[in-house]
Amino acid sequence: MSTSSLQRALSAAPAHALAKEAVPGKEYFIFVLGDLTLGVLSGHAREVTRPGLLTPLPRLPAFVLGVVGHRGEVLPVIDLLRFLGQGEMTVTSRKRLFIGSVHAFSAAFLADRVLGLRYLNDSAVLAPPLGGAVPAEHLLGVVRDGPRTLNLIDLPKLMQVARARIVTR
Amino acid sequence: MPQSQSTKGAKPVRGKKPPLSRMQSGGDGLKPIIDVLKKVLEDNERALRVDLTKLQGGELELGRLVNMTLERLTLDLSLSEDTRQHTVMVVDQALEALISLVRDGELSKWTSKTDDPVLGPLLEGFGKVIDTLRTFVRQINEAALQLSSSANEVLAASTQHESSSTEQAAAIHETTATMEELKHASAQIAENAGAVARVAEETLGSARSGRGAIGEFIHAMQQIRSDSAAVSDSIAKLSKRVERIGTVVDVIDEIADRSDLLALNAALEGSRAGEAGKGFSIVAAEMRRLAENVLESTKEIKNLITEIREATAAAAGAASASKGATDQGERLGAVAAQAVEGILAGVQETSDAARVINLATQQQRTATEQVVASMAEIEDVTRQTTQASKQSTGAAAELTELAARLADMIKRFKAD
Repeated sequence: MSTSSLQRALSAAPAHALAKEAVPGKEYFIFVLGDLTLGVLSGHAREVTRPGLLTPLPRLPAFVLGVVGHRGEVLPVIDLLRFLGQGEMTVTSRKRLFIGSVHAFSAAFLADRVLGLRYLNDSAVLAPPLGGAVPAEHLLGVVRDGPRTLNLIDLPKLMQVARARIVTR
Repeated sequence: MPQSQSTKGAKPVRGKKPPLSRMQSGGDGLKPIIDVLKKVLEDNERALRVDLTKLQGGELELGRLVNMTLERLTLDLSLSEDTRQHTVMVVDQALEALISLVRDGELSKWTSKTDDPVLGPLLEGFGKVIDTLRTFVRQINEAALQLSSSANEVLAASTQHESSSTEQAAAIHETTATMEELKHASAQIAENAGAVARVAEETLGSARSGRGAIGEFIHAMQQIRSDSAAVSDSIAKLSKRVERIGTVVDVIDEIADRSDLLALNAALEGSRAGEAGKGFSIVAAEMRRLAENVLESTKEIKNLITEIREATAAAAGAASASKGATDQGERLGAVAAQAVEGILAGVQETSDAARVINLATQQQRTATEQVVASMAEIEDVTRQTTQASKQSTGAAAELTELAARLADMIKRFKAD
C-alpha cells in the first residue's frame, strides 16, 4: 500500500510531546539574512508574507525602507542588515517579509529566506559573544548549529531601540 | 746598165767580140795592146792602160784609141755605178723602212719620195699599202683599247657576279638550313597542336561532367534550403512550446511559493495554538517541504528550459546561417554553372581551333617539305651558277689578258 509523504508525516506525528516537559526550551522562528542566520521567539512572529507595494517615507533612518499596508495596518519595513550595520538588502518579490509583534507594536522585517520554526533547548543557548557579527545588546544568545551560528535576537528590545531611533529622528 | 753603156759607143766591141785566139795571131806590135785588153777583160783590171811609149805608128794610134775607149768605158762604168748606188740606197732605205716596220712596227718612218722613175710608182704603191696598214693599225689599236676596257669591265662584272653568286649560294644554303629547321618546327607544332586538340577534347568532357555535377549541386542546395526551412519551422514551434512550458512552470512556481508561505503561516498558527496545534504544525512543515521540493523541481525545469531556449536559439541561428549558406551556395552554384558554360564554350572553341591548327600545321609541314626540296634544287642550280660564274670569271680574266697582249702587240705598230 503506497502512502503519500503527507500521510507518512501525519502517521509520524506524536500524539503528545511528553519530552518537552522534562527538558525546558522554546520555539524560535529562524530566518536567513545575507550571511546571518537569525532567530526570534516564535510568539513574536505573527505572519509571513511577500513584500508587497513598498512606499518609501522621507525623514526616516536608513534601516526603515518604507511602509507597507497589511490587513488594514500600516507597518514600517525594517532592513535588519542595515540596522545591525552588516550591509543592506534589496527588495524582490521572492523575498519574505515577516511581521514581528511585540505588545501592541508591530513591524515588518525583510528576510532572504525563512527556514521555519525550531524548538531549541535552553541548555543549547549560549551567552552572546562580545565582538560578534550581531551586537550582544540585541541578542538573547547564540546556538552552534553545525558550521553556522544561530543568532537569537531579543526582538522586543531591538524593536524598542529601533522605535527610539525613529522617534528621536 | 748595158743600155747606158751601149749609148756611149761600145757596141761593136760587145756585140761582135772576136775570139782571143785570133787576136793573138796578129803582129807582135799588138801584143801589149792585146795583153792589156786580155787583162782588162779577163781579170777586170779596169785601171790598166796600154803603154804607149813602146808603140809606134798604127799600134800607137790603136793603143791610143784603146786607151781612150777604156777611159770612156771606165767613165761610163763609174757613171753607171753612181746610178746603181743611188738606186741601191733608195732600195736600202725602202728595205730599212720595211724591216723597221716588220721589226718595230714603225709605220711612221715610211717615205715614198724618190726621183727614180722606175722605183717611184713601186714606192708609191708601197706607201699606199702602208697607209692602209697605218689606218688598220690605228683602228685595231682603238679596238684593242676598247676590247681591253670592255674585257676589264667583263672581268669586273664577272667577278662581281661570282661573288654575288657565292653570297647567293651561302644565303640559299642558310635559307635551306632555316627551312629544314622550320620543317622540324612545323612537325613539332603539328604534334603539339594534336596534343592540344586531345587535351581540349578531354577538357570538354570534364567540363561537361562538371556542368552535370554543378546541376546536381544546385538541386542538392535547393533540397537543403527546403529542409532547413522545415527545420527552422520546427525550431520555431519547439521554441513556442518551450515558452509555454516556461509559462506553466512559472505558474507552478508561483503556486509552490504561495503554498510555502501558506504552510509557513499555518505552522505559525499551529505554534500559537500551543499543544493543540502541534499536529497541525507538523503537517504544515511537511507541506512546506513539499512546496520547497516543487520549487526546487521548477528551478531545475527553469534551468532546463533556459538550456533548451539557448539550444533552440543556437539551432535557429544555425538554421538561419545554414539558409544563408545555402542561398550563397545556390548563388555560387549558379555562378559556377555560368562559368562552366563559359568554360564549355571556350573549350569548344579551343578544341575547334586546335583541330584547325593541327590541320593547318600538317599542311604547313607538307608545304615546308616541298619548299625544302625546292630549296635543294635551287641550291644545286646556284652551285652550278657559281661554278659557271667562276669559269666565266676565268674566261674573262683570260680575255682581259689577251686584250692586254693584243694592245701590247698593237702598240708595237707606231702609226703616228
